[in-house]
Amino acid sequence: MILLENITKYYHSVLGHQYIFQNLNFEIPGGHNIAILGANGAGKSTLFRLIAGSEYPNKGTIISDLSISWPVALATGIHQQMTGRENTRFIGRINGVADLDAYEKRVKGFAELGQHYDLPVKTYSSGMRPRLAFACSIAIDFDVYLIDEVTSVGDASFRRKAKKALFERSEQANVIMVSHDMKELRQFCDSAIVLSKGNLTFYNDLEEGIKHYQAL
Amino acid sequence: MTTVLKRNKWEIWRDVIFALFAREIRVGFNDKFGISWAVVQPVVFIFVLAFIRGRLDSGETHTIPTFIFIAFGMILIQSFLQTLSAGASAIKKNRALFAFRQVQPLSAVIAAGMFEFIVKLFVVMGIALILYFIGMEMKLADPLSIILYFVSLWLFALSVGLLFGLAALYIPEVEKVQTLMTRPMFFISGVFFSLKDFPEEYWYLLNWNPILHAIELARFSAYPSYGLDGVSVSYLLISTLVALFLALVCYQGFWKQAISR
Repeated sequence: MILLENITKYYHSVLGHQYIFQNLNFEIPGGHNIAILGANGAGKSTLFRLIAGSEYPNKGTIISDLSISWPVALATGIHQQMTGRENTRFIGRINGVADLDAYEKRVKGFAELGQHYDLPVKTYSSGMRPRLAFACSIAIDFDVYLIDEVTSVGDASFRRKAKKALFERSEQANVIMVSHDMKELRQFCDSAIVLSKGNLTFYNDLEEGIKHYQAL
Repeated sequence: MTTVLKRNKWEIWRDVIFALFAREIRVGFNDKFGISWAVVQPVVFIFVLAFIRGRLDSGETHTIPTFIFIAFGMILIQSFLQTLSAGASAIKKNRALFAFRQVQPLSAVIAAGMFEFIVKLFVVMGIALILYFIGMEMKLADPLSIILYFVSLWLFALSVGLLFGLAALYIPEVEKVQTLMTRPMFFISGVFFSLKDFPEEYWYLLNWNPILHAIELARFSAYPSYGLDGVSVSYLLISTLVALFLALVCYQGFWKQAISR
């Protein structure tokens, strides 16, 4: 369960404050794999980054006793000039992984980069980078994984693998996911939060959420 | 299974700064030309300036060999300028990493400062090696004080850098102002001359500058015969403390909003 208490978030612009959320109170229930649905600019990514602690609300607090991953986007925290292995160790250190060598092995096995794992990330193809990013996060045992369009980039076999990994962990872990690809959301999620005009609505059933979202 | 350690706040800071520092070293030493340039450039500068200054006063400047006189000025001013710009650009450069909630802008600034510190140690060692090979004798009467001045100046530079880095997130033009403001520091901080070269009634034009204090103090600590005129340790230390305090206060007040701009 993640509790949003009285959240106000705005961005500065030449036209004054652009409010994304105003005095928002909401409870994101635990035990669900949640898809976040909303139009462009509705604040999906902002909500995501707030939950992850990458950004802070201007007012209000976010309370949770779960361990939450960083927002796993296409290449978060991946340095172009460092190798896959070095990037893995960097992410492992920041997140306080106890055994870096075992973590490295786990990421290597999952990402299936072969010898590319020891080459600089700038030499990777566009499909390989998100695979590394996703592997780095799934190899750490979080309670909630925040996934931002990453799985849509990989090929079919990687997607299957990602799904299997998340499914194996589904006893203890859940995902919150942002994507515009409904097929992908149907694969990973069972419920939905629809974002519109600064309000959140939770739907227990994903299809119902998608219906409401498409009716907006 | 990957076990994640339960860490307290300090352990997280330590791990993050270490990870960022390792990353700085990894990426910094990738650029082999840049790193060797960091050592070669001040040496070349010292030689050229010492040569010019040596023409004026026959190899000895206020009882210090001219080469060493210039070397002190050069190393300290470059430490200041480069630590400042590294600290100021660290926040913007590492922006993508703030997605990890453990990484705060301050840890990026500290890691960048540590990297500059290491590079400067290499520069000092390079210059010491050159002095040894050309057989120039060098006195270090009070090395502990010199280290204190060096560290104090480093901390001062990093604090000013943090202020600039924070301000640049709100007003992008600050970066331009920063280069504009730091450029003349090279000329007014006593790299090429000593405060003693000027008549005393004009000292007030120069001695507001803590870098000048650090440079003159370091020269005095190496060669006590150089004499201590118009500069003071307490001025340097108090400037550092004030800058550090101001930087940390502004940081504490603004960082959360600054990274989401």
